[in-house]
Amino acid sequence: MVNTVKILDYFTFYDKILIAGIVLFSLIIIFAPLGFMAENYDEDELIIVIKSGSKTVKRIPMVKTYEKTQLVEAAGPLGISIIEAEQGRVRLLEAPEEDPQKICEKTGWISEPGPVIICVPNQISIWIETSEGDLDGITW
Amino acid sequence: MNKTRKIVIVGLLVSLGLILHFVETMLPMTAIVPGAKLGLANIVSLLGIVFFGFSGGLQIVLLRIILGSLLAGTFMTINFYLSFSGGLLSFLVMYVAYRYASNKFSLIGVSVLGAFFHNTGQIIVAAYVISNSAIFYYLPFLTLLAIPTGIGVGLVSYFTADYLPKEISGGV
Repeated sequence: MVNTVKILDYFTFYDKILIAGIVLFSLIIIFAPLGFMAENYDEDELIIVIKSGSKTVKRIPMVKTYEKTQLVEAAGPLGISIIEAEQGRVRLLEAPEEDPQKICEKTGWISEPGPVIICVPNQISIWIETSEGDLDGITW
Repeated sequence: MNKTRKIVIVGLLVSLGLILHFVETMLPMTAIVPGAKLGLANIVSLLGIVFFGFSGGLQIVLLRIILGSLLAGTFMTINFYLSFSGGLLSFLVMYVAYRYASNKFSLIGVSVLGAFFHNTGQIIVAAYVISNSAIFYYLPFLTLLAIPTGIGVGLVSYFTADYLPKEISGGV
């Protein structure tokens, strides 16, 4: 006889409620904003924003990245981070040597509004904005 | 419990936690979501709460975080504050859940709660440090990932606590 152990037996009723609650919480946050966030943004209006701490280092219109590769140096508490933008996408090319985990480097390319490249040790953050253009229309 | 015995076991759990912490940093979990990790070191925090209650558990958590950051060379840097805030918040939540709601939650539920609040605490501190709330974008992905890792940590803690001789826990 094989003594089968069912993993589910180790969960109490409240464990399952808790897990279901957290899954629901996460999924709602992931999917809820899409309802009203502009999905149909215009590629020409995207702007790359690079911040160091609370200061904005540079704002690059996405259109410019198609003409030539943009390299930006942003200084933080640990040193200089190098940011590369090309062909409608942006990444953190090189984090300072002192950054122990270099999570921002591993994040890789981002190319649309939503994801953020965050370098907590060096306090650099990079994301893509849709420029706040004029309203197309208001309906009551 | 004998005082010397307690010191020895706390020390053992702390060193176990340090090893788990360093093994964990070798795993490329950040490829999935930036900042994601397994939380293996949470096993010893949980065991600390089970065996020693509040004071012993707190000792294990604090010693592990401080020694871990000293060994990694990140003491008093932002990385230290991140793991400190996450570790402390998840410890407090896990202690309250274990102490006052253990008839409702098993160790799995306690560990999932701990993982959830570890992520939340870290993101709040990180958002404050970089003064950019855009980092909350990653919170739901991290909390979603906290479910499997929390369940895994909870199961491991459950079986470990079950197999260790009763003298270690001293009937706590």
